Amino acid sequence: MSASRSALRPYVCSSCRHGVLAPRRRFSSKPAQNPEIYDVVCVGGGPAGLGLLAALRASPVTSKLKVALVESQDLDKARSWDLPTHEFSNRVSSLTPSSVAFLRRIGALELLDTDRVQDYQQMQVWDGETGSKISFDWAEETSPFEDPRTVATMTENANLVRALLSRIEASGDENLKIFSKTTVSSIENGSDHPDGPDLSAWPVLTVAPSEASPASTSEPPVRIAARLLVGADGINSPVRSFADIATEGWDYNRHGVVATLALSDSEAPTFPAGMRTAFQRFLPALGGPIALLPLPNNHATLVWSTTPEHAAYLKSLPPNAFISMVNAAFRLSMTDLKYMMKMKRVGEEEEVNQHDAELTWRLQHTPQPNHIPPMVTGVQERSVASFPLRFRHASTYISPRVALIGDAAHVIHPLAGQGLNLGLGDVASLSNTIEYAVTHGMDVGDLLSLERYSTERWGANAKVGGVCDLLHKLYNVPGQGPVAWGRSLGLNVIDRLPFVKGFLMRQAEGGA
Amino acid sequence: MAARPSLSRVSRVINSLASTSFSSSSSSSFSSSSSAPASLSPSTFLRRHSSVSADELSHFSGLANSWWDPMGPSRVLHLMNPLRHEFIATCLATGDTSNSTGNTTSPPANLHYLDIGCGGGIFAESLARTIPLTPSVPGTPTRAASMTAIDPSPHLIRIARAHARTDPTVDAHLRSGHFKYLNTTLEELSERLLKEEEAKEAEQPTGGKFDMVTLFEVIEHIDPNTSTPATFLTNALRLLKPGGWLVGSTIARTFPSFLVNQVIAEAPWPVGVVPRGTHEWSKFVNPDELEGWAKDGVRTVRSQLHNPSGSQNKALEWLCCGVMYFPGLGWKMVPGSESWGNYFWAVRV
Repeated sequence: MSASRSALRPYVCSSCRHGVLAPRRRFSSKPAQNPEIYDVVCVGGGPAGLGLLAALRASPVTSKLKVALVESQDLDKARSWDLPTHEFSNRVSSLTPSSVAFLRRIGALELLDTDRVQDYQQMQVWDGETGSKISFDWAEETSPFEDPRTVATMTENANLVRALLSRIEASGDENLKIFSKTTVSSIENGSDHPDGPDLSAWPVLTVAPSEASPASTSEPPVRIAARLLVGADGINSPVRSFADIATEGWDYNRHGVVATLALSDSEAPTFPAGMRTAFQRFLPALGGPIALLPLPNNHATLVWSTTPEHAAYLKSLPPNAFISMVNAAFRLSMTDLKYMMKMKRVGEEEEVNQHDAELTWRLQHTPQPNHIPPMVTGVQERSVASFPLRFRHASTYISPRVALIGDAAHVIHPLAGQGLNLGLGDVASLSNTIEYAVTHGMDVGDLLSLERYSTERWGANAKVGGVCDLLHKLYNVPGQGPVAWGRSLGLNVIDRLPFVKGFLMRQAEGGA
Repeated sequence: MAARPSLSRVSRVINSLASTSFSSSSSSSFSSSSSAPASLSPSTFLRRHSSVSADELSHFSGLANSWWDPMGPSRVLHLMNPLRHEFIATCLATGDTSNSTGNTTSPPANLHYLDIGCGGGIFAESLARTIPLTPSVPGTPTRAASMTAIDPSPHLIRIARAHARTDPTVDAHLRSGHFKYLNTTLEELSERLLKEEEAKEAEQPTGGKFDMVTLFEVIEHIDPNTSTPATFLTNALRLLKPGGWLVGSTIARTFPSFLVNQVIAEAPWPVGVVPRGTHEWSKFVNPDELEGWAKDGVRTVRSQLHNPSGSQNKALEWLCCGVMYFPGLGWKMVPGSESWGNYFWAVRV
């Protein structure tokens, strides 16, 4: 019901409009100037918002649309982002091949710093409780003479954002306005100008320089009207609030601990050479999976989903002990891990790494499967951080003259690494929708135009988010009970039936 | 003349309704308003030569308030609109023999459109949106330079104008005159254009003024007591320049279309998708009938033109393609389904 309520928000038949939507009076020394009119206004300059702008600028059909982007952070910093080759940001995402294809199509892929991007061709996923495993390995489906197929491509978000910004800049500045370091201070419906167009059902934004930028406080607020207002403004989306779109969801009471790690050289050379693997081990007793995803130069990024208490404990550990815990999490039994999570923390000045001693001793008594990752040898300074895991799904993605993309529309559990890919899928779909509307004389902000986007994405995203949620719940039942048994049966069956696995892998790949 | 108080005009409307006598001042008001569409005043409600029946008028005027509601009774019509653009693009692509020599990537926006029976402006407004705001901008797939949209219902024209103002681009075209809504009938418009031509003392008729005339979901609504589809089509064809297209869509009068359009589509909610009383099955037109009338019309119009280029011997170009509505998927072009229900058609003068 909330869907239809928000869908009907601004539709008021023109004869009733005068009574219902009386133009708002504003206190001002001079009459409010007419807002500047844009075809697409995107709030939020993350990968989704910038991706949409880049896609619109890249298509000959939509490149002439007048577009604006409002971002509260300083995009100049994102433009000049740079790190030494052996250092990596801890905000890393895996791009599915269909996301990569989209970035190639809009001309952003070639602008990525490829030295900082890592493909991987194999995925090892196993249950820490029962040991059953599923390996996503394209090598079984491709001939040995072909290049092994890529499961996903790891890239730092900052690298992607910088590439998208360069792509947008390469399209020139005609019909483009980027409001960097700028906050949306209000969104309200416009008014009917007797000597101009009737904007009473158009969102009009008032944007002002962010408080954090004292240099530009002298700039007056600007009013802009949006034919289509796109909310790419994250989980607490102000655009979503303006459109009165409800969102459902829950907090997982879990945190994702991230870090940039250095790996030891693996003893066995990979075949084919340069083949890289992603590792994920479900740890039911600790509240979620630990994943190690490859980065260039034998580095890796960590995503460890666990309870807030464990996350706080891990973040409080000195680097050596943190490394030992990560290595332990891929190798030791649930009982051992639970014990180690309760070990007394020792100061950094302590000479003996008690966690390492514990790990070394316990490893001697734990048989190891052959699919474990190489040992972690180092953790990059200041790269350990954590964020709360949540599930959110907007009841609808569209409302008249409003569309939501990325985290504003959906937030899912990171265990399948699909968050950013869903966002880029939204962008690809919405830019196609806008393209179709333009070539068919439709108003790009009209609900009839936007329906196409909502139909394509809402169900698809709900499915992926639901599967991730199901996996999270399935792998949070500790012990050797029927759920664990069913889990291992499931994974083993999938692993043995090539066609089922092929289907799952294509899903993971992000295509049909 | 155009500044006449509206009250007296209303009373004159009532008079003309009562006496059914044709008021000559109503037709001359068009010539005064042709240059400035914004100054147009509401016109007479029922006219002597009108091909539109009064009960049809009142039915569609009753729907007017929800005309632009995307979830309202006109939703199915809205959903069909993108296909109209695609069909027009097909016509322009097949018929474009004169311009094929200059293989420029973006063809010029030089086509003048007339939409007959525009209703609340679903098609007219969407076409006006494709008119370039500045002449320097390359043309769009419709190659539209201007759009004139007419409808006999003053109420619908008011709705259409009000909605057009909610889009600044369309509003700008309304103000510049590239886009006009006229509350008139085809017959009156023809008469007026003929008078204009006579006023110019043109020695020989050069044909109409428009490159594209569109008749979307109109032919099945004309009044059999005052007009026939054949006369109506010929009148529409007269307004075309030589080489111009008359494009339309309508519904075939077959048993499947009876089932789909009368029984299912007008069924009560949640089955039905169009309001009860929208269609009258007996007025539906089969593709072969329409083709015959349209081709006869083209021959008549060509024979009345004294053009030396010998266009009378040109082959008759006729396009026809069925469209079907699939719940949940929308409208799809289905070639071969012409006699099953809805179809697009086009004929070239």
